[in-house]
Amino acid sequence: MPIIVNLDVMMAKRKMSSNELAEKIEITPANLSVLKTGKAKAIRFSTLEKICEVLDCQPGDILEWSNEK
Amino acid sequence: MWSKTKSLFLSRVLTIAMIGLLCLLLFFIPTIAEWYDAVSDSGGILGDRDVFIPMCVILYMGEAVAINAMKELLILLGNINKGEVFIERNTRCLRAISWMCMSGGILMTVLALWRNIFIFAGFFCVMFGLIMRVLKNVFEKAVEIKSENDFTI
Repeated sequence: MPIIVNLDVMMAKRKMSSNELAEKIEITPANLSVLKTGKAKAIRFSTLEKICEVLDCQPGDILEWSNEK
Repeated sequence: MWSKTKSLFLSRVLTIAMIGLLCLLLFFIPTIAEWYDAVSDSGGILGDRDVFIPMCVILYMGEAVAINAMKELLILLGNINKGEVFIERNTRCLRAISWMCMSGGILMTVLALWRNIFIFAGFFCVMFGLIMRVLKNVFEKAVEIKSENDFTI
């Protein structure tokens, strides 16, 4: 998939666990896992906004485009 | 009071009853064929030939096709009852039912070689198969949309 989700990296930088992040951005841990493993087909702006707010980062820090397929 | 659950229950009961009826009919196929051979007088492309044996063979094959279609319908209704509507298995059920209808149409068309009237039954079977195929396509798209929706976080 050309879009890579670097959520793990940002979470490690902020020393935040999956459950804690899921709780703060108000999504289920299962959905967060879908997002982290790159299985998600789309992300809502509202979810992205909350992630950026909680992790204090930019959307570009979480999402990355790669040319490799 | 009539409800969706009762409607679904009725559909399942009727499907099971139809399977029972089809199984029961298996024992009477020679009788039905014999009776039809006696009462029908118009011929087909092959002329006014005896229709007993071809009718028996085609009815037995048609029974297998119909029972299989009913089985798929029962699986589909069972899944709907469980709340699993837009899933891949249901699309497969609709596809199978569509092919069963098409097969029934072909069988009826073959029978029309002996009696012209069966060409109409064949036409309606193929027509119904086509409608089921379009429904299958709609279902397939709905499954895709649901999957996309489920994976939108």
